[in-house]
Amino acid sequence: MNHIPKLKLLILILSLMLIQFAYAGTDQCLNCHQDLGDNPSQQFLEDVHYKAGLSCQNCHGGNEKTDDMEMAMSKSAGFIGVPTLNKISELCAKCHSDSEYMKKYNFKINTGQFENIKESVHGKLAINGRGMIVQCITCHNAHGIKKVNDPRSPVYPTNVPQTCNKCHGNASYMQTYNPSLTVDQLTKYRTSVHGKLNSRGNIKVAECASCHGSHNIFASNDVRSKVYKLNIPSTCSQCHSNKDYMKDFHIPTDQFSKYQMSVHGKAVFEKHDLSAPVCNDCHGNHGATPPGIESISKVCGSCHALNAELFSASPHKKAFDENNYPECETCHGNHEILIAKDQLLGVSKGAICLKCHSENKNQKGYLIAKEMKKLTDSLIVSDSVAKNLIFQAEQKGMDVEEMKFKLREVHQARLEGRTIVHSFDEAKFKEVTTKGFNASEQTITEAKAAINEFYFRRYGLVVAVAVISFLIVILFLYIKKIEKNKTN
Amino acid sequence: MKNKFKKLYEWIDSRVQLEDLVKFMSKKYVPVHSRSIWYYFGGVSLFFFIIQVVTGILLLFYYKGSSDLAYESIHFIMSKVQFGWLIRSIHAWSANLFILSVFIHMFSVFFEKSYRKPREITWITGVFMFFLALAFGFSGYLLPWNELAYFATKVGTDIVGAVPFIGEPLKYFLRGGDDVTGATLSRFFGFHVALFPGIFTFLLIVHLLLVQRQGMSEPLEFKDSEKEEKKTMPFFPNFMLRDLLLWLVVLNILAILAVFFPAELGLKANPLSSAPAGIQPEWYFLFMFQTLKFLPAHVFFIEGEQLGVLLFGLAGLLWLLVPVWDRKSARGQKNRLINYIGIFCVLFIIILTIIGWVLK
Repeated sequence: MNHIPKLKLLILILSLMLIQFAYAGTDQCLNCHQDLGDNPSQQFLEDVHYKAGLSCQNCHGGNEKTDDMEMAMSKSAGFIGVPTLNKISELCAKCHSDSEYMKKYNFKINTGQFENIKESVHGKLAINGRGMIVQCITCHNAHGIKKVNDPRSPVYPTNVPQTCNKCHGNASYMQTYNPSLTVDQLTKYRTSVHGKLNSRGNIKVAECASCHGSHNIFASNDVRSKVYKLNIPSTCSQCHSNKDYMKDFHIPTDQFSKYQMSVHGKAVFEKHDLSAPVCNDCHGNHGATPPGIESISKVCGSCHALNAELFSASPHKKAFDENNYPECETCHGNHEILIAKDQLLGVSKGAICLKCHSENKNQKGYLIAKEMKKLTDSLIVSDSVAKNLIFQAEQKGMDVEEMKFKLREVHQARLEGRTIVHSFDEAKFKEVTTKGFNASEQTITEAKAAINEFYFRRYGLVVAVAVISFLIVILFLYIKKIEKNKTN
Repeated sequence: MKNKFKKLYEWIDSRVQLEDLVKFMSKKYVPVHSRSIWYYFGGVSLFFFIIQVVTGILLLFYYKGSSDLAYESIHFIMSKVQFGWLIRSIHAWSANLFILSVFIHMFSVFFEKSYRKPREITWITGVFMFFLALAFGFSGYLLPWNELAYFATKVGTDIVGAVPFIGEPLKYFLRGGDDVTGATLSRFFGFHVALFPGIFTFLLIVHLLLVQRQGMSEPLEFKDSEKEEKKTMPFFPNFMLRDLLLWLVVLNILAILAVFFPAELGLKANPLSSAPAGIQPEWYFLFMFQTLKFLPAHVFFIEGEQLGVLLFGLAGLLWLLVPVWDRKSARGQKNRLINYIGIFCVLFIIILTIIGWVLK
């Protein structure tokens, strides 16, 4: 009978050891915090890091093996508590910037996020003056971090607009960083084709990160930004020129190649002209939508104001409306808008007017176009004659600065002609070209006078040299005579 | 007609005794020898000076001496004023030929040792006029207020700043401030049209009076010749007519140069722009400019540029005082050293000018 208590004791000890061993194998931090019922520990169970075998200790330090609170959260065990400010992102970067370490989990994973965010507009100093504006957890959350392709993740494509809007839709918050920045991006986005499809769950359409980037976001006036004016066509073309990617949307994919060849595209790509329109100038940015037929002239008219105004007052307006023709696009095209050369006008081969007008059909327009072209051609000839004469005068060393200045009026008249042509009013067109003709006539007269002056100087010199030489000879002979007389 | 002229002559003669002057001139003779040609360069220089005065006055009718208007007024003269281009071109070419002619005249006098007693004052006034001619060129160069003029003046006044002790104050005085500005233009204009012409005219009157009073210098070899052996020609009318003939030839050359190579204007001076490459002074300063460029940064304890300026200053002083230290020529003896010095100076000026031109 004496053996029974000893056996019980042995079983008790072994049981305790087993329990202790079992406890030692689990995350004691999680155990306790779950018992406390706090949110972080609940969320952490769904966290991608938890599933990958990481524990609280990996971020917060301490000893997760012991259930002794004092020991587990002692400084000697490396416990750091709740990290703040940049310490948060630095903790994330400890693993996420280590490519060797990250290979264990995902071979393709990017490890430059922290460096990117430090350089980005979000990496600037926050108004508290102690850390970056945005930390990793601002977008990814802290304890319930999901994979990017998990629909529950705040950075999943359909959730990104709402995530960004947390700050960017907060007027009082954004006021503290950039008062001029609007806070209606999400509202506009939801009106766009992109936004509508995104809200229906389409993850292929553009959301904030598609155009602005994710970790490497720069202000739109920063040349490194994907939405810097000169970079926008390339940014949009990443999707819109990709046939495979766009096949579900049933829209053309040649916009970028056409735009590159257009007058606007050349201004952007060749001249780096920031005033030239890029995709968002016509389609909008956050509210990107193709302009409708009725609004094309308004869109083009936001830059080409005078042309649009003249067109609206012209007889063409009514005709276009009746026939449902898109206003500017009918003659100029959309993405492939070419330089408006004089050849577009008139009734010769290649002229746009011939699309609707001919000798037999809509004859009035045909005759006006013919006359306008005649005037334009004459002005070009006058301009060329004036230029040639100025060149000749300049070659002869004459001062032609004022003539060159005057010649600008001819060029100005030609430019004005290209605008006033949108009134399709022959009298108004003549008025403009007459200014050019007068200027070119005056320039031609002045250039001819300069050339004549050159010859006058040469002939004048010949006469002067002849007269002086004659006097020299006379004087020489007279000297010889008086010296001969003296000798005699 | 002839009677009218005679009456006019008599009318003037009765008041200012012209007869005395004519008698004086008709008794005046000019030595004739193998180097007589050099006598004419004094007259040619005078002719150029007269042209400078006349064309300068004509330019003054339109020129405006301020940094805002100088360039524009010259442009106006060149493009709008009737024959303005010709007047300015003649003024510019005549300025260059004037200095060339003065160089030739001065060296011919030097080689002939014509500065010897009793013509020391004539020489000294002549050398001062030569310095003034250079000053005319330097001050006039800035007046169009174009890019080249602006930067050349900047470089030129910087060199003045290298004169020991008085350099900096002198530079400040010339510029009318720390830098070349509108104030510099105003005072250069003042120097060019008022101060220098006034002094020059005074020196010229003294110089010409002395030439008339003392006559042309005879070469040393005439000293031992008998009066009958000395070949001469009357100053009036022979020499004067020959002078006039040469003036007409020079006028022809001047007209051809002015028409075929009219003076340029270039770009307006912009103090904020960088100096154009190969900026150089006018050709008559080029030998000095090139010498300063060749000098090392430091020679013993003195800066190279300072040493150069000092040496040129010393050379100028010795040149001015040659009648004082050349005692041999004063005694009527031959002095080969003077010839060697003269040849060295001519070669130095020509070679350094060519190098400066080539290295532009």
